[in-house]
Amino acid sequence: MRGLTRDLVVTAALAVLLVFLPAVLREVFGRASVSYLSLATNALVLAVLALSWDMLARTGQLSLAHAAFTGAGAYTVAVLFKLTGAPLWLGIPLGGLAAAVLALGLGSVTLRLFGIYFAIATLAFTEVLKAAVQRLPTAVAGGAAGINVPALFRPTFVAGSMERWEVAFLRNQGYFWVYAGLLVVAVVISVVIQRSRLRAAFTAVRTNEQVAGVMGVNPARMKLLAFVLSSFVAGLLGAVEAHRLGSVSPDGAFSVHTTVLALVTPIFGGLYTTLGPILGATVLAGIEETLKRTFSEGYLIGYGIVLVASILFMPRGLVGLGSKLFKRGGASASGTTGERA
Amino acid sequence: MDLSLLPQAIVSGVLASGLYALVSVGLALAIGVIGIVNFAHGEFFMVGAFLAYQLFVGFGFDPLLSLLFVAPALAVIGALIYLSSIRFVLRAPELNQMLLTFGIGIILQNLALLIWGGDPRTIANVPYRSLGFQVGGVSIGAVPLGSFVISLVLVAGLYWMLASTPLGRAMRAVAQNRIGAGLVGLEVDRVYLVAFALSALLAGLGGVMIGVIQSPTPTVGLGFTLKAFAIVVLAGLGNIRGILGAALTVALAESLVATLVPNGDALRNMVFFAIIFVVLVWRSRRVA
Repeated sequence: MRGLTRDLVVTAALAVLLVFLPAVLREVFGRASVSYLSLATNALVLAVLALSWDMLARTGQLSLAHAAFTGAGAYTVAVLFKLTGAPLWLGIPLGGLAAAVLALGLGSVTLRLFGIYFAIATLAFTEVLKAAVQRLPTAVAGGAAGINVPALFRPTFVAGSMERWEVAFLRNQGYFWVYAGLLVVAVVISVVIQRSRLRAAFTAVRTNEQVAGVMGVNPARMKLLAFVLSSFVAGLLGAVEAHRLGSVSPDGAFSVHTTVLALVTPIFGGLYTTLGPILGATVLAGIEETLKRTFSEGYLIGYGIVLVASILFMPRGLVGLGSKLFKRGGASASGTTGERA
Repeated sequence: MDLSLLPQAIVSGVLASGLYALVSVGLALAIGVIGIVNFAHGEFFMVGAFLAYQLFVGFGFDPLLSLLFVAPALAVIGALIYLSSIRFVLRAPELNQMLLTFGIGIILQNLALLIWGGDPRTIANVPYRSLGFQVGGVSIGAVPLGSFVISLVLVAGLYWMLASTPLGRAMRAVAQNRIGAGLVGLEVDRVYLVAFALSALLAGLGGVMIGVIQSPTPTVGLGFTLKAFAIVVLAGLGNIRGILGAALTVALAESLVATLVPNGDALRNMVFFAIIFVVLVWRSRRVA
């Protein structure tokens, strides 16, 4: 348990850092901090998405349905505010819960599907869900056009006491903090998994399900647990993203893009670790911003290249590359054996 | 539900099944012979469609003529992809192979988006596009009929090749036992290369035909990957013989749902996914 304490202290330090980051950016960059802040927010979104996908992958289930769960979170929020006058912050936890319930349903059907079969079935599931949402009555789910979602933050411009750009800054800062909170939630879940007996159980299920069963691990229960946790975080993320974007539509909420980002990032950063997805997200968010500015359509090609190159040249990701370099240099790797938390 | 539409729905379904068989037989070939579940398969289809479009816009080629150019082009693209990436993951974990092909699919799709943009592209002014005839109240278009016939000829050709040529025998031998095939002197790597190139070629030809039937966008590939998966999964992963029957089943199911269920056109995709889902889950239960 000492490892867990250490990881939680590091997480707390990360949280403190994130709390003060907007103010620091503002001091250093002034007006330009608005766009730096939204870039940092994108990195946080990517990190949460990647970390939640990785939790599921730890049990050997490589999901191509991550968009289904962020989409479920987003639509929960949208439908909630369309139909009722619920309090503004209620939608986010409900979005997480809805995604978790959906995962419980899908997970219990796909429990016996291995590897490729699981991937194919999940890819199909996203499309079914998208089509189903499109076919719901327009009065409920808005049809193909989608639904508008209220913003979480509406800072007002006060003439004299602030400049114009500060309104956008305050808005971005709000979302940045919400996503920072989500990241902390995701990291805590991930770290607890990695530092408890669950890690051994997940790894056993991933490497050999039969053997895991013999060792007294219940593979079905482990797979479902990972699925529910992963989807809960994905649902929270989708819900906040719906608020930030201001609207949801079937094509946007259930886009393959989301699934691609969710799986490329941890593979690039390093699978089955907490650090890997975060590291991957930080690097990729920067690359993505550059690509988006260069190409209006087709910027996702960068992710394809990163994915192919990662699999061919560094199957253990940035984290694996890093630990290899450390060992070669002879520096003490603080007693880590193999995988890091 | 309007049953008077039933004959038309059945004919449309049967005509579509040829093209579906052509797309999925290539995927089954890659799975059966090489053991690679290719998530980029539908993108070969898309590339075929856009090459035909480009040949039409650039040189005024009739799509029928384009078939002759797209076939070798796709074989080369397939071979290059095999040589530059697939070859290195043959012994890697199954999921790495899947993710690699998924990545290749993303690259191909977005490359097409960069080149052609996201708008649908139509091969206009094809003289036989609107040709057709009526049989007892059922209308049969020349283009669907033609694509059906061409597809069946190609699939039959593949079956014949597998059954009675040295190359086909080599492919079947490699599919059955990679090591054994190597021991009796087959160049396993060469067979894989040819099989993958052939798989891309068949999909590309299907793409040319869909380029005439629809107005495709660069994002059609994923949909066709899923259609091909539905058929391949129904036939049994890697089973090449069962493709024709499975393609017919899937195409008929799609056509019947689209025509007979009110507002069913939007349900087309759901049919494929329902098939994939039900078959996979049902099989896994039977095994367990």
